[in-house]
Amino acid sequence: MAATPKTPARSRARSDAANNLANTFSNLNLSPTKGSSYKPSPNPFMTATTPKRPPVNDSLQRQAQEGIAKKGGLESRLNVVTIVQPPPSQTTTQAKQIKRSKSSSSVTRSDRFITTRDDPTSTLAQSQRNPSRPASPDHTARLADAAGVNANRRILCYHEQPPAPTTDASLNPAREYARPLLRPASLPTSTGAQTNKSRKIPTQPERILDAPGMVDDFYLNLLSWSKATNTLSVALEGATYIWNADNGNVTQLGSGLEGTYVSSVDFSNDGMFLGVGTGEGDVELWDVETGAKLRTMSGRQGQVATLAWNEHILTSGCGDGSIWHHDVRMPRHKVMELLGHTGEVCGLKWRVDGELLASGGNDNVVNIWDGRVGDVVEGARGAAKWTKRNHTAAVKAIAWCTWNPSLLASGGGTNDATINIWNSTTGARLHTTHTPSQVTSLHWSPHRKELISTHGYPTNSLMIHSYPSMETVAEIRDAHDSRVLFSALSPAGDVVCTGAGDDVLKFWRVWEKEVVSGARKKKEVKESGQGNLMGTGLTGGVKSGSTKTGRMAIR
Amino acid sequence: MSKQAAKQAITLKGSSALVTEFFKYGINTILFQREVYPSDDFHMVKKYGQTVLVTQDLALENYLERVLSQVQKWLLERSVTQLVLAIISKETRTPLERWVFDIKLVEPAEGEAPAAQKPDTEIQSEIRAILKQIVSMVTYLPVIHEPTAFNILAYTSDSADIPAGEWVDTDPLAIEASKSQQVKMRSFSTDVHRIEAMVAYRYEE
Repeated sequence: MAATPKTPARSRARSDAANNLANTFSNLNLSPTKGSSYKPSPNPFMTATTPKRPPVNDSLQRQAQEGIAKKGGLESRLNVVTIVQPPPSQTTTQAKQIKRSKSSSSVTRSDRFITTRDDPTSTLAQSQRNPSRPASPDHTARLADAAGVNANRRILCYHEQPPAPTTDASLNPAREYARPLLRPASLPTSTGAQTNKSRKIPTQPERILDAPGMVDDFYLNLLSWSKATNTLSVALEGATYIWNADNGNVTQLGSGLEGTYVSSVDFSNDGMFLGVGTGEGDVELWDVETGAKLRTMSGRQGQVATLAWNEHILTSGCGDGSIWHHDVRMPRHKVMELLGHTGEVCGLKWRVDGELLASGGNDNVVNIWDGRVGDVVEGARGAAKWTKRNHTAAVKAIAWCTWNPSLLASGGGTNDATINIWNSTTGARLHTTHTPSQVTSLHWSPHRKELISTHGYPTNSLMIHSYPSMETVAEIRDAHDSRVLFSALSPAGDVVCTGAGDDVLKFWRVWEKEVVSGARKKKEVKESGQGNLMGTGLTGGVKSGSTKTGRMAIR
Repeated sequence: MSKQAAKQAITLKGSSALVTEFFKYGINTILFQREVYPSDDFHMVKKYGQTVLVTQDLALENYLERVLSQVQKWLLERSVTQLVLAIISKETRTPLERWVFDIKLVEPAEGEAPAAQKPDTEIQSEIRAILKQIVSMVTYLPVIHEPTAFNILAYTSDSADIPAGEWVDTDPLAIEASKSQQVKMRSFSTDVHRIEAMVAYRYEE
């Protein structure tokens, strides 16, 4: 053991000397033979027994043993020159000198071949230059440590390369237009619906009615729910049906239109009359009670996409962008014309007090009109009180707030998908919120500070927003199989009926009436045990399927 | 009381899901910010109380999904120690940036009561801080002028269960030490995992 430190030192001295002495080939050839006698001692052993010894010796010895000096003689010397530059640590050189003096070596310490191969890179280079010899485990560990690699772990990557970007820049404009149709990220719930934590909002419809033949056209308004009589009118192609929400009876108005279709329906405020707009431009007046047509008011050129009642005034919006007030009592029914749209008028709503009329059109404009008809003269025209051009797509969804008469909500189509809230008194835009897809209709809750919006492709959803924060209270994705186009609010304001191109009507109890206290709630439920829940009267009649999933047909 | 405690304690499973979710949003943010994919591939999503940009490229979405589902498995086995998102030049394949996420297991010291459970909001705010830091990094990271691709490397232990044929050994895509600069980023921790983020980027004068 005691000899081991010496011998490598001696052999090194020899080999170093050999290096030093002008690289004669004979000397170089000698050094490996000398060194070969130490081959049996393995490297780990050496380092283990001489822990103080710097790795210098190790590598040098290997050089000596394997004749690396011969192989890379010139290179190693070049290396020496560069590496020697920083002074070697004091302690090691001193120790070496002592040993040297004992062995009475004539080699001077100032020699440039003293390789301070402390840095692992050079040993790494050596081992790479000489791959025949497997590196000892200890050496590998040291190497790994020096290179900052943990040996006992693996670096893995997925066998596939990540997909390349699918597009080139020239397609960017096209993608811009297609973007509204891309489905937004799915909601993080299993049902595809998001609801409020503080109250339960059913994400399934309470009732489904078959409505075959419902026209899948964004611009039409085929659903109306009378506040006075609790009846729902729905237009299916040429026919108009009245569904009584109290008993579930269905009646058809007249025998239906031939060669054209119903494009809009609206109940008068007292629920006694129904206005029906047709694709040919006629506005019909029907008596709901008797089921008879009272009159046809013609004169329109395009389809009548929307109707709105205010007492005896039936207002119609037409494909040519004009809005007419029809006085249903007068033989010359057209009492005023409102010109403010250049595109088809598809949204029209009177404020409850009849003072203001809001309209939205395919020209992306929202107009608010003064509702006073005044002295009627032939060719009287009204002017818009406010004209709003913030939407960037057709405005079909229009709703007046029920508890704050100055608030108006409007929603834009596919490229806009934005809901704006306006103050009709000051004309200011108070709030705006973006939604994932086109807004097809809007309703304010009569007894909550919330509004509901229905949406088209791609989410086909119902969304409830709180006001004024405009936060999403609930979102029911895929409420229908196709875009939700029409909706109507029940008289009690708790159920919303939606219609879509998938030929069904769905009833959603989204705004359950708030109950004052728990005890009263129980009592109330007990009393209304017959299923007449919270005053909607939407029992559907016991005969015609009173289960919640009960399915009936309009026709 | 016990019910409440059980509700608050985060399990390995929950923590793994949380960490995986962070990786998803983190990777998406990096891919967007470093313009590895065209920016109009991304859309805004509300997450961690802020908007995060997430790709809507289906192929990429599926790819990340597959990669991260395996990472989540490894997290559950506690066999993954590091996840690296390497941004490499598309033509020369030289690594340009390495976003390194060290995954460390938080284990309470012996004989010591486990640390008080970390509220969810605090974890979220830490994650939010990292994501914000990624966004802010763009200001001083060198501008990349060439088209890039990315690769996700997982550093696992030797004993890790590796689905054959799906994951292969690879080189670390390291940047030469002389040409790289490193910036340490914020970290976040759940009760089980601790994620330390770091970015190394190629910087040549």
